[in-house]
Amino acid sequence: MPKKILAKDDPYFIDNPKSVKAVQKEMAKHGIDVYLGSRLRTMSWILDAFCPWRTYVVIPPEGLPTAVTFVIDAARVADESWLDEDHIIGYGPMGGQDQVSVLSMLMKPYLKGGKGVIGMETGMGNYLPEGHLTLFEFVMLKAAMPKATFKNAHDIIDRLSLIKDEGTINRFREASRIVDVGHREVLAAIKNGGFQKMTETEIAGLAAYAMRKAGSEWEWSFTGGNEIASGYRSGLAAGACTPASRRKLKAGDPLMVDLHAMFKLGLGDHSHNYFLGKATKRQLWHAKNFVDLMKQVLSTYRAGITPTGLADEMLAFAEERGFQDYLVPGFEHGIGMMGDEWRIGLNNGPFQYWTNPEHVYKKNEMLICAVQYACPEEDIGFRYENPILIKEKNCEAMSRFPLSVNIV
Amino acid sequence: MPEKKFKYVSQEWADEVAKRCKKSLTPEKLKKLTSSLLTVYTKCPGGKTRAIFYKLNNGVVESVSAIEGTLPKAEFTVTADYDLFAKISRCEMKARAALMSGKMTLRGNLVKALTLSPIMDRLNEIIATIPTEF
Repeated sequence: MPKKILAKDDPYFIDNPKSVKAVQKEMAKHGIDVYLGSRLRTMSWILDAFCPWRTYVVIPPEGLPTAVTFVIDAARVADESWLDEDHIIGYGPMGGQDQVSVLSMLMKPYLKGGKGVIGMETGMGNYLPEGHLTLFEFVMLKAAMPKATFKNAHDIIDRLSLIKDEGTINRFREASRIVDVGHREVLAAIKNGGFQKMTETEIAGLAAYAMRKAGSEWEWSFTGGNEIASGYRSGLAAGACTPASRRKLKAGDPLMVDLHAMFKLGLGDHSHNYFLGKATKRQLWHAKNFVDLMKQVLSTYRAGITPTGLADEMLAFAEERGFQDYLVPGFEHGIGMMGDEWRIGLNNGPFQYWTNPEHVYKKNEMLICAVQYACPEEDIGFRYENPILIKEKNCEAMSRFPLSVNIV
Repeated sequence: MPEKKFKYVSQEWADEVAKRCKKSLTPEKLKKLTSSLLTVYTKCPGGKTRAIFYKLNNGVVESVSAIEGTLPKAEFTVTADYDLFAKISRCEMKARAALMSGKMTLRGNLVKALTLSPIMDRLNEIIATIPTEF
């Protein structure tokens, strides 16, 4: 897991104190006396440490924030975060040390006469580990601070974390380099008939081992780590979530390998597709559709376009080529430091907590270019995922493993 | 001659705690700790709140003071009813169990407090040896 990076000339340095000051400036602007963060993405962005247990961060109007995490992990988080051990404290099942007691003790000094505004993070999400404040937490905190007003304020962090800084971008680049190491290892293992007698879980494991050797901290995705799909599983209807199964790989099967690596909370996420041993003419037709589409998609991303604009263009291309029926009509999902996945941009679209299809991409935003091609009736499908950095006139695809559907 | 008894949570009792701690607890046993601990006794006989303030310096119990009125700041503050503290001081209950029942509250860094838990046990074992009038 990441260690403290305090040297400003380190390529992976992130100026967390600057981020905190930016949050505090926004708090003042929005009349928030104290901010209570609870989302995993907020922990990664503010603390620069991985927080797998329920964690909160209390951001005062000025000065350093204090994170509150499960006591069994507090010392490790303090060891890795830029904050010191006095600002990473533990909670546990003891009098005065439960979550509500500790949080209210930290926040009360900023509520004059008990009154004041607490910024909280609530909402809904399709991403399980999002970490919104639960109803129970809210009720208990409200009971502990009855005169305080709670205001949903996650937009502050969402807005500030949207455009990525150089340290974050470099961490994503390194995570992607590591993912490519995993892909090379998979290719070496399955080529020349090596896939025979192997299972999807073995592919996931050997990639994981190679990536860990190269410095990955975790196959970070909550979808089961490295996702591997062979045969009919590659083409599940509208499917884009395939935790590796014990299915044995067979000649003639398509194989989709979707690898995840984490480097200092930066995330690698790249999929590559194969045919095992042989491919039919029809399978190759599907593969060509997919590869040509991906070339189009990747050459289209740039600042100024919108998700819906890109989708219109790509679906028109698919229609022209006669494969629109096999395309899951989405081309990306959001990404940020660990815990920030799926929604792109702010919560300002027609459906609450989903990507706004009219979101206009800006320079130095990042997203995962994600396309699923699925033809369940022919037991075939392909997936493309790759972290991309939006630039003014194009995009940088961070994983460099060559785009193709290889027959191995 | 009957054994002298010290009135619980009095300055005389606190002095005896300090004396016995200095005699029995070496700096090594106290992990060369520098810290402060305030134990706050609520619902004392007469309805008052009283406190004992422990000051440790480099593993030496520097002072143990009985406090009434304004309470000083300490790195750790432990609060409970007088009766509960009395049970702990008679070794009828462990401080850990009292904390986990929620009847005793701790303020201060839990991570540090957990590492100091054996020291608290040693301190309570010494307190239990003091002939006390509750």
